[in-house]
Amino acid sequence: MTPVPQSLAAQSPTAPSPTPQSVAAPRSIVEFHGVSKWYGNVIGINKLTLRVPVGVTGLLGPNGAGKSTFLQLATGQLYASQGKIRVLGQPVWNNSAINRQIGLCPEQDAFYEWMTGWDFVHTSARLAGLSRAAARDATERTLDAVGMTQYQGRAVRGYSKGMRQRTKLAQSLVHDPQVLFLDEPLTGTDPVARHDLMTIIQRLGSEGKSVLVSSHVLHEVQTLTPNIILLNHGRLVAEGNVRDIRDLIDEHPHHIVLICDEYRRLAGRILSWDDVEGVRVLAKEKGLMVETHKPDAFYSRLPQLSLEDGLAIKEVYSDDDSLESVFKYLVNK
Amino acid sequence: MPIFDQGYQHWKGHLSGHGWRWLAIARHGVRIGLQGRVFRIVLLVSLLPALVLATVLSIWSLIERKSDLVGPIVQFLSSMQILSPTVAADPRQYRLEVWTLCYNYFFSTELTLSMILIVLVGPNLISQDLRFNALPLYLSRPLRRIDYLGGKLGVIGAFLGLAIIVPCLVTYALGLLFSLDVTIVRDTYRLLLASVAYGLVIIVCSGMLILALSSLSRNSRYVALFWVSIWIVGGLASTILEGVYYGQVAASQMSRPPEMPRGRDARRRMTPADLEKQQNWAEDFQTRMAEASKTDWRPLISYTSNLSRIGRELLGTDAAWRKLSELQPAQMRGRVVASNAGPLYPWYWSAGVLAGLFVISVCVLSLSVRSLDRLR
Amino acid sequence: MTAPVAESPTRTMTPALARRPPASSRLIALWSVYVLTLRQHLHGKRWMVIAGMCLLCVGLVVLVRATALDFPPLMLEFNFGFMFIPQAVLPLIALIYASGIVQDEQEEQTMTYLLIRPIPKWALYSAKLFATLTTTVILVVGLTALTYAAVYLGSKTGIKEASYRALQAAAIHSLAVVAYCCLFGLISLLTKRILIVGILYALFLEGLLANMPFSIRLATVIYYTRLIAYRSMSFVSAVPGNPDRTTDVAAEIWQLDVHTDPALLDHPQMRTCLIVLLVACAACSVLAALLFSQREFHVKTPEKA
Repeated sequence: MTPVPQSLAAQSPTAPSPTPQSVAAPRSIVEFHGVSKWYGNVIGINKLTLRVPVGVTGLLGPNGAGKSTFLQLATGQLYASQGKIRVLGQPVWNNSAINRQIGLCPEQDAFYEWMTGWDFVHTSARLAGLSRAAARDATERTLDAVGMTQYQGRAVRGYSKGMRQRTKLAQSLVHDPQVLFLDEPLTGTDPVARHDLMTIIQRLGSEGKSVLVSSHVLHEVQTLTPNIILLNHGRLVAEGNVRDIRDLIDEHPHHIVLICDEYRRLAGRILSWDDVEGVRVLAKEKGLMVETHKPDAFYSRLPQLSLEDGLAIKEVYSDDDSLESVFKYLVNK
Repeated sequence: MPIFDQGYQHWKGHLSGHGWRWLAIARHGVRIGLQGRVFRIVLLVSLLPALVLATVLSIWSLIERKSDLVGPIVQFLSSMQILSPTVAADPRQYRLEVWTLCYNYFFSTELTLSMILIVLVGPNLISQDLRFNALPLYLSRPLRRIDYLGGKLGVIGAFLGLAIIVPCLVTYALGLLFSLDVTIVRDTYRLLLASVAYGLVIIVCSGMLILALSSLSRNSRYVALFWVSIWIVGGLASTILEGVYYGQVAASQMSRPPEMPRGRDARRRMTPADLEKQQNWAEDFQTRMAEASKTDWRPLISYTSNLSRIGRELLGTDAAWRKLSELQPAQMRGRVVASNAGPLYPWYWSAGVLAGLFVISVCVLSLSVRSLDRLR
Repeated sequence: MTAPVAESPTRTMTPALARRPPASSRLIALWSVYVLTLRQHLHGKRWMVIAGMCLLCVGLVVLVRATALDFPPLMLEFNFGFMFIPQAVLPLIALIYASGIVQDEQEEQTMTYLLIRPIPKWALYSAKLFATLTTTVILVVGLTALTYAAVYLGSKTGIKEASYRALQAAAIHSLAVVAYCCLFGLISLLTKRILIVGILYALFLEGLLANMPFSIRLATVIYYTRLIAYRSMSFVSAVPGNPDRTTDVAAEIWQLDVHTDPALLDHPQMRTCLIVLLVACAACSVLAALLFSQREFHVKTPEKA
């Protein structure tokens, strides 16, 4: 069960019963049970218990949250000071066999610079244990999948940042792993490369691979997946669907903006609703910013408002369901 | 509104002249260097020879003043035949020679310690900047290449200066204070200038060489190994070549050495004639080796030998030994000079080697450290 | 609160989980590590430094032969083949390559690419060490061959005899460099300051203390290689300038008291020396592999507070 704060778990109408027995047949790729990791006096991960589900999941957190530590623990590069870690049901530390099912696209921009792109990916395939013929085929296929066929003969030192990211992604895919860990795959890429990489990640998810994407670029993670894990100071802050998380953050009311020519009359009308916490007039935009703890109920009443009172609401929008607002609320608490 | 002002470009205040810009880099490098615990320990160890030098000069100054404090020391040195009665009677006559030899021994020890200091701090200076692509960070500021290289050389200069030049000055001052005799300055000011000059030669030559090596590789470990190769492998090669050469000289010019009896008892039973025969042979051997060393180019292969040769020339060590050898009986004088003076090949051979290495270093640095418009 | 279930994957995970990589794929992976390490050794400027050292050695021999025409070849061989090369060149070659087995990958941050492969860590280290031994042995054999060619070409010594001596020397040097590589590889896992430790070891332990008649020399590589060399080869040479006189140059320089102990019974026998060196190599390698398998390699995370 996800270790969310009690208030969030209790108030969610959709949250399942917090008992292990109620969890369905294991569909998680990564399991952390009471995992802590410290470096001397610095705690990287603090009693973390979570399950990363199958599919595409975003791993978020500010700098120093423990994302890199999490990924390095999950890929067996570090061992946990406390607790147990399992990937695909197996322990990872000193278990090289599991690496056949894992692919990692690391954050650091490090290559064997003297190799060509093809050589680098081919070597990665051979390091994964593929035979010569299989490695050749896999290399060609993977480079084609990431759009690097045209540049495969060039030395890596001559690649742009986007090409380097694609090559890194290719080496993580070449042995056809079940689980992919992508550590900030979009960092430093230009918009075109970013879009291409995101398309590749989405396609990987649709092909049945499980992908855990660590990123700072919130709106892009939101585009990739609604499922997130949010870490802060080495602890799990939230986990699950962005919208569900947002709903459960009862400390922060939702902000909904209504654009209407008769915004003052509209304000008077909606102030009478119980679930409206506050209204702020946005005179310049000719609108209102409404604060409510029950956005669904509020939205359901809006059409009736238009019909009954003839208040023509031109526009309704809310930034609150965004990952950024969730991130801001939970991290800046 | 578009943003035009970036970094320092909006700064309307006064920019310091180019004369001192290297200092910022040097200061930073010194701060980084001092962070290493091992380096701090080695730096402290490298100051120990200075303590010994200061002690010896202070004692000598007291000997010159015929102070009672050093009476027991004078007696001990005289009994061990280290201090000749002539010197003890009129130490001021031999003041320059004694100071010269003290400084010579200080420098010979300090040279080795300097090589170790350079191994610890030198390789990182430019190689790390190349590894982490920090050169554009420097050269995109109002810094010229010469400011950058001057700053890096300043790091070496700071540490070696602390180990070599500062102790020279401080110990000179201590010797002067202990003697309370201003004529010391008249007699030894050339020695002070020479020791500072020698220190600067070591700093500039070694500093430029290690910077050139550091600019050749992004991996500081290999730079350090390259430096060690030059220092130790060169030294060993020179020693082996010299061994071959002097063996040839001895074989071609000398008769067989008299048989030395084996065992301590047998040696005690040697007659005065046998002993004199041994001593004569040894004297002849030393003299011939000294003559042969005048044309021996083999020490030029050793980097530290070249520096030592320059040092001996600047300090006047050979002249000091010649004067001190006059205290010995006539038949011993040649041997004293030959065994202590070191190789006698012309000093300008070593100067040429060091100058050549300096020029090569400058060329390498010029090619490796490119200004921003030439960076790929 | 749980995440929505992903779309059903096109393949089940269970067969993949149950599947261990076959032995052949592990061998392929290890072979790839070996080849990758060899290729890394060819790149960069390391080999230029080594080539420089080889040329220096050969150049010095040529210089001596040109300036001292009647210098006995065997004495020349001893000075360069059994003094200069073992004391200076072999430890440096080993330090250059063995110190980089792990630290190069760490510094370049490419260690991650090796750790996430289905290769046991101890096997990963062993493959890299084996590649390092291959490179250093090839370099040393080449260096020895060139040096001996420079010493004996054009001399009165027969080609067969010179070749046999070269072969013996190459074997002894190879054994020495293997021992140094195993040792320095282990030390590089124990300390980041492998360079300082290696230089101090080569200078003081191997250079100074090995020449002293104390037990400490039993802990040096050079002592055993010298004994193997002395027991398997002859070092009786004519004295320079006096061809009628001969001297056992190795016994003299290495301070082996052959006058009172002609069979060197106070010193280990050749077989013992071989066994000691090989066991030491194995022990260092196994310990290093074990250390490597238990070690963490941090990227972006702190090594310690």
